[in-house]
Amino acid sequence: MAGAAGRVSGRPRALLRVLAGLRRYALPALALIAWELLARSGRFSPILFPSLVNIAREFGGLVTHGDRLAEAWYSLYRALGGFALAAAAGVLIGTLMGRSTLAAGLFEPLFSGTYPVPKIALFPLFVFVFGIGSLSKVALVFLECLYPIVINTYYGTRAVNRVLVWSARNMGATPGQILRKVVVPATAPFIFAGFRVALPIAMIVVIITEMIGSADGLGYMVIYAFASFQTARVLAAVVAIALLGLALDGILVAVRNRLVFWEKLESYYA
Amino acid sequence: MMRRAPFVCGVFVASVLLGAAGARAAEEPPLIRLGYGVAAEEQLWLMMARPDLAPNQGKRYRLKPIVFQVIPERFQAYVAGELDGGTAPGLSVIFARAQGVDVKAVASICQEAAGKDWFSTTYMAKDDGPIKTVKDLKGGTIAVVGIKTATDLWARAALLRAGLVPDKDVKLVPMAFPAVGPAVRSDKVGMGTFVEPFYSAEKAKGGLRPLFTAVEAVGYDHELLDLFFGEKFLKAHPDAVRGFLADYVAATGYYLANREKARRDIHKAGFVRTPLEIYLKNADWRRDFHGRVDVASLKKLAAFMLEKLNWLEKPVNVDEMVDQSFLPR
Repeated sequence: MAGAAGRVSGRPRALLRVLAGLRRYALPALALIAWELLARSGRFSPILFPSLVNIAREFGGLVTHGDRLAEAWYSLYRALGGFALAAAAGVLIGTLMGRSTLAAGLFEPLFSGTYPVPKIALFPLFVFVFGIGSLSKVALVFLECLYPIVINTYYGTRAVNRVLVWSARNMGATPGQILRKVVVPATAPFIFAGFRVALPIAMIVVIITEMIGSADGLGYMVIYAFASFQTARVLAAVVAIALLGLALDGILVAVRNRLVFWEKLESYYA
Repeated sequence: MMRRAPFVCGVFVASVLLGAAGARAAEEPPLIRLGYGVAAEEQLWLMMARPDLAPNQGKRYRLKPIVFQVIPERFQAYVAGELDGGTAPGLSVIFARAQGVDVKAVASICQEAAGKDWFSTTYMAKDDGPIKTVKDLKGGTIAVVGIKTATDLWARAALLRAGLVPDKDVKLVPMAFPAVGPAVRSDKVGMGTFVEPFYSAEKAKGGLRPLFTAVEAVGYDHELLDLFFGEKFLKAHPDAVRGFLADYVAATGYYLANREKARRDIHKAGFVRTPLEIYLKNADWRRDFHGRVDVASLKKLAAFMLEKLNWLEKPVNVDEMVDQSFLPR
């Protein structure tokens, strides 16, 4: 009897667990249902509110056509190219600023003063300097991503516990060893925080620049579909961009959790 | 009883005022919310700059012009119920109809036409550069003003005529008109699209050479910009549209007969930002005196978009798309 009662009470618990697991999808699901209801209500033109079925059909076409997948690849390599360059330079500059008052005095006014400037406004200038191809887009991504990475790294480096540095020094560690074994690991969570801010910026900048002046890429695809009022295709491309961004962030979090294993990040990917 | 008197008086006065307002609203002619652009729409700008040239305004229709920089936004505003009509290139009206937007082209604004009297959009390359013919563009880039715009269509038409495959042999990139001249001169693109006043300004500087015009690219004179209205508005307010188009045709006639004076008025009203002396000298597109749409040319463009460019998924019935019955007879 007790066993039967346990089985009965076990089922609702399992159900509750499933429901709790599904809770995180409740709001997106509700939004999708509301969208579909509005699209099917007949109150709005399909140009403004295409149905999810049409968007899904366009999305299917996007992921199964080689030439359309190539557009995603163009955007991806531009975004990752600029991001990688910004990551390398940003960590270097940020660490230098954090460890040297001279470097901080040199760079801080520059970064603080130009941080609020909308770098995207410089794109026409970048086109004249670097050409209409990928280089101008990669350069702008680099510039936009550099700021959050430098600033996060800088403040992370400054926040390293001095006791740890002193202890390492007392134990005979060289400045290089202190940097490698103490400063960089202690700053890593900040560096990755900068990366996580910069990565979506990289995607946004690439898409915008491709929409302004490009003959390929997902941004070009959006503007191409938009020009002939194919809203379902525009939204399919937007979904692809969102999924790409989500995947990149997921990969970044996974890498971070592997490298910064002592301070794992609670995230929705876990 | 005495206390109720002010209340009754108040209700009476309010009723009279509301009734008067309602009667005035009923007397007011229909409002036309018109989306317009920033290039080549002189007759329409003239109607706004010189209301005296549009005598039906305020009597048979009221006009609320709303400026738009980009064509697709004009149609989105229309679909969202924010516009009753507007201006758009013929090919954009074709795109809109292909997507089921219930609009009709009702009058022509300007056309791409051959001949020394008219301006036709021109594609130019560097005079001392390697591009002497369209075929030399292989592996290069052309600057057009926007993807799937008329400038894009003409460039693709010229490439196809030269036996080149657009996007594969030659890239087409969007670029704002003011940036095209410097981009060609600095070899960022092999060839660019030039309209007035940029065409005259760049020609005056020297160093650029025309390769072909829009008319040469497709091989025939054709519609560039048209006026469109929503089908529901046309059905609901035919007299307002007739009144508006009567004024429009009258303004076109005035503009063609008094081009310099009209341009001065347009410039003074702020519709054109080019320096006046340059604007007055600029060549102009052909404008039909009666505002008649060249339907045959739109049919050819629609067929070209469908068969050669794959820009359309299905044919568009151009005869159904154009309705010139609202123009003055």
